[in-house]
Amino acid sequence: MQISLKWINDYVNIENYFSKPQELADLLTNTGLEVEEVSDLGKRYASIVIGQILKLDKHPDADRLTVCQVETGSGSVQQIVCGAKNHKQGDKVMVALPGAVLPGDFAIKQSVIRGVESSGMLCSEKELGLSEESSGIMILPEDAPVGEKFSLYKGLDDILFELKVTPNRADCLSHFGLARELSNLLSLDLRYPENELQVEAGLSTKECISLEVKDAENCPRYAGRFIEGVKVAPSPAWLRTRVEAIGLNSINNVVDVTNYVMMEMGQPLHAFDQREIKGNSILVDKAQAGEKFTSLDGTEYTLDGSELVIRDQERPVALAGVVGGKNSGVQDDTTNLFIECAYFKPESVRKTSRKLGIETDSAYRFSRGVDPSGISFVLDRCCHLIQKLAGGKLYGDIHDFYPKGLEAKSFLVSSDYISQRLGMPVDDESFEKALAQLKLKPVKEGQSYRVTAPLYRVDIERKEDIVEEYARLHSYDAIPEKMPELALEPTPHEKDYELQRSLREFLVGQNFTEALNYNFENKLKASSFLGDLDKLKAYGITANPEPVQILNPLNEDFSVMRTSLLPGLMKNVEHNFRYGRHKGQLFEIGYAFGRDSKFGQDPRLAFAAWGETLDLWTKKEKAPLVLQLKESIESLLKELRAKSWSWKQEADAPDFLHPGRSAALFFEGKIIGFVGELHPRMKEALKTKEPIVFAELQLDALLRGQPKAFRVGGVSRMQMVERDLAFVCDGAVRSDSIIDLIKKSSGKLLKEVYVYDQFEGGSLKEGQKSLTFRMYFQDENETLEEKQLSALQEKIIQTVSSKLGVNVR
Amino acid sequence: MNIYAMLQDKLQAIREEAVAAFKAATSSKDLYDQKVKYLGKKGSFSELMKEMGKLSKDERPKFGQLVNEVKNTLEDLFKELTDALKEKELNASLEDERIDMSLPGNRMRLGKKHPINMVIDELVDIFSRIGFSVRLGPLIERDRYNFEALNIPADHPARDMQDTFYIDEQHVLRTQTSPIQIHSLENESLPLRVLGPGAVFRSDYDVSHLPMFHQIEGILVDKEVSMADLKGILAYFAKEFFGPNVKIRLRPSFFPFTEPSAEVDCSCAVCDAKGCRMCGHTGWIEVAGCGLVHPNVFKEAGLDAEKWQGLAFGMGIERLAVVKYGVRDIRLFNENDMDFLGQF
Repeated sequence: MQISLKWINDYVNIENYFSKPQELADLLTNTGLEVEEVSDLGKRYASIVIGQILKLDKHPDADRLTVCQVETGSGSVQQIVCGAKNHKQGDKVMVALPGAVLPGDFAIKQSVIRGVESSGMLCSEKELGLSEESSGIMILPEDAPVGEKFSLYKGLDDILFELKVTPNRADCLSHFGLARELSNLLSLDLRYPENELQVEAGLSTKECISLEVKDAENCPRYAGRFIEGVKVAPSPAWLRTRVEAIGLNSINNVVDVTNYVMMEMGQPLHAFDQREIKGNSILVDKAQAGEKFTSLDGTEYTLDGSELVIRDQERPVALAGVVGGKNSGVQDDTTNLFIECAYFKPESVRKTSRKLGIETDSAYRFSRGVDPSGISFVLDRCCHLIQKLAGGKLYGDIHDFYPKGLEAKSFLVSSDYISQRLGMPVDDESFEKALAQLKLKPVKEGQSYRVTAPLYRVDIERKEDIVEEYARLHSYDAIPEKMPELALEPTPHEKDYELQRSLREFLVGQNFTEALNYNFENKLKASSFLGDLDKLKAYGITANPEPVQILNPLNEDFSVMRTSLLPGLMKNVEHNFRYGRHKGQLFEIGYAFGRDSKFGQDPRLAFAAWGETLDLWTKKEKAPLVLQLKESIESLLKELRAKSWSWKQEADAPDFLHPGRSAALFFEGKIIGFVGELHPRMKEALKTKEPIVFAELQLDALLRGQPKAFRVGGVSRMQMVERDLAFVCDGAVRSDSIIDLIKKSSGKLLKEVYVYDQFEGGSLKEGQKSLTFRMYFQDENETLEEKQLSALQEKIIQTVSSKLGVNVR
Repeated sequence: MNIYAMLQDKLQAIREEAVAAFKAATSSKDLYDQKVKYLGKKGSFSELMKEMGKLSKDERPKFGQLVNEVKNTLEDLFKELTDALKEKELNASLEDERIDMSLPGNRMRLGKKHPINMVIDELVDIFSRIGFSVRLGPLIERDRYNFEALNIPADHPARDMQDTFYIDEQHVLRTQTSPIQIHSLENESLPLRVLGPGAVFRSDYDVSHLPMFHQIEGILVDKEVSMADLKGILAYFAKEFFGPNVKIRLRPSFFPFTEPSAEVDCSCAVCDAKGCRMCGHTGWIEVAGCGLVHPNVFKEAGLDAEKWQGLAFGMGIERLAVVKYGVRDIRLFNENDMDFLGQF
């Protein structure tokens, strides 16, 4: 909220802070009202003065420019090149002289424009930050004094605070409210604004307009006054300046006064044109379902019956506390006014405002809570100003529906309690003094004090609130720092955190880099990437075809919760290619959503790797990237002490994977995910020959039973024997089928076996390949003899040859 | 000429020939071949020894001794020359094996933890040391846990503080990690110290806001808990996380689930609180929100607010990472650019 210090100064004397506004800003910030920005308008508009155009010529070298000789006071004349069209000789204009800095950090300098010297700029309202739009430069009235500073002329020699008022401090949403806060904090006198009225005792508001409040629950207080014969006209300069200074548009004297009083007292008001109050009757009630209402700005709304409205005999004339109706607002020819000043229940106003999407200064204040006890004062203040500025006869009586006076909250609190909660000594004397200073009316009751919060402090309800009041008055800096004693038995971290953290750290050690992606995705893009979800499911990953929707997404890219981690990783791969990161390996641990239920979270581990397959300078070919990723996953499985697993190469791979270069991971009895190379068709746009490979795994299945306890065995000191065996087989025979047989037939003596070489072509027949396996044998207790080894080798060859029909080479 | 003299001449000739051949050898293998040629089983000496039968009984030992002397000399020479040749050969092969040590090995990028998790893990370690344990919670959260139980009823202006993504009437993407404390209050025994890190979501996307970001939430519940305890814990955190000279200050603020509430500033570690771009030339950086647990939060969790007291704090992980590591644009956290991540 914009706060004008000059305005504040009307109610509390803070003149001594005008030269040091930051001190005042710090005081407010340190007591809970954060000042986000201090703008000294006098400084902001320095070097901007009123000038008069003495002479105006066409620019010799540019049709659209003019060259003006401008007097800027005390006989000084500047030559200024100007691009506007709306100025003529003799006009009074705003001149930004060299050295001026216009809003948006636009510095004015001495310059040469198409060969003509220019010392300054003639300004438009937009350039001066006075309005959003403007056509042409600002032309001032003829009586504007040449040479006077712009800030002085416009009454802008003020200091503005941009105040961040937290939702609890509704009492500070006005100049008077903030002045009251300052008077409490600084123990200064508070001056109330004038509200004397000249009433016509013989005329009666009540006789003129009837009032009925049907929904007193949502409208506990409703007051109004009738004024006859006002003259609607433009506001005087002082009022215009004030409302414009805090960012409102000046409309006319009546509307400006209601807005001004709202910004002054924090209490919204509404002025109705009495002509338009059908049947001269005001009814405060819920809307009728289905009825239409058009707001002041011309927007039509259909009401559902939950909204509190002000209605005349026929129709709603205002949405209570939110916005007035177009049908009954003040017009230029309005003469008779009914001024409303009410207390509407905060929840009711907020609900209506949120539901219809109408955000107004009025709704903002009502939904945070106005001061119900201040209503009659504010109504009188408003009528006082209207009379002063627009004349009119004020009727003698007042409507004031207030059947159940809202009571100030009172409760007990002791200085000992405050002391305990703050962790510092607080004695009765200082406590009582602080409470009195904050107008909390402390009364000693036994060991405690009974505290009664003024009605405008809607946030003070209980003793905890007093802890904060006392602390902020004495500064939070006064509270000591102390480490609390540990009086509990520590509990372990949640298992998922521990497991995922170990997993992350293991993978980082394997030189994978961790990615974190948005948990939402673009539904269409994701489904076009994932393709046939049944095929994906066969590869262990269930993605719901109907992802969890976000009701109010920011845009299409964030419209649903992700069903797989891969579309996000694919985006990362594309990003990295775009910026030339041609090699990389990422993993992500995160959740997919909507697998089994709408709100379920499905933890996943996914990988993406891409980039060169040749060693740089040795030019030796590495194993295909997809097999490298598979190897990394197997390292993880070993780290998790998995006993066995296998890779199934099904005929129907997911659509986005290369059908011949992908496999599902069969682990502990079921398929829990896959590894595979991106289908060449999916990377056409990337224009790269480098492979891109992915994997996605069900993390809960992978981590089930983790961490596994383990014990280690002994170490054999016997000789380790190396043996190679090569088999010639059909190209379709998988290496792991041979390895399985080697393992089965050699039993405990086999320490390790792996594929040592694969070879095709040469002397081999078409469609055949040779696979060489390297094996290591060792016995725990004795050195293996040649005879034993030969027998073992023979057994292996026999088993493999007979089971798979392959020949040893 | 007698036979002895003749054999003696022969021996001398073999000796000279062998010495010449040994010396002429250019490789250790060549030398070994020469040794075999002269000293081997079928070598020149063996041939010569066969002729010893022609000598008289008296002459044989004398000649045998002579032969042995020559053989020993040759063995010595062989050893000496072999050593020299081997040394030369080793040197040659060392020179041969010389490589440009600036060539790369198997090129690899170091794996890195994502900075967000790096910060979370560091915070978990810091707070674990003073007895906090991690709890996680669902990202799709019931309205009650995200709002109502945190003293944010429907139609309360505090709901405006956060732009919420809705899944349905009853469910939201959690806007804060605070719901984690409610689950703990409902399910765990007291006193407790719990830390809740994780992703949160708000409908806001610009240069300083991401629609998904991360927070960490801490709550401590005990019989008596004070603002001094809160300041003590936060001062400990600031020193551990930012550096031993970093100080904290609290400013009054408002959060619906704490009373009193405060914003936490740390003195700027970048400029040592002298004022710089990072701290907006104020010397202070806002890093957290905190307060004493609001009695309504205890009530909502079914606890007696007169019996238990608590403190709570919450921090934005991205914010901490920006401050600690100087990240210039928060959008970098979601791009997963290898060059960005590689710098951590």
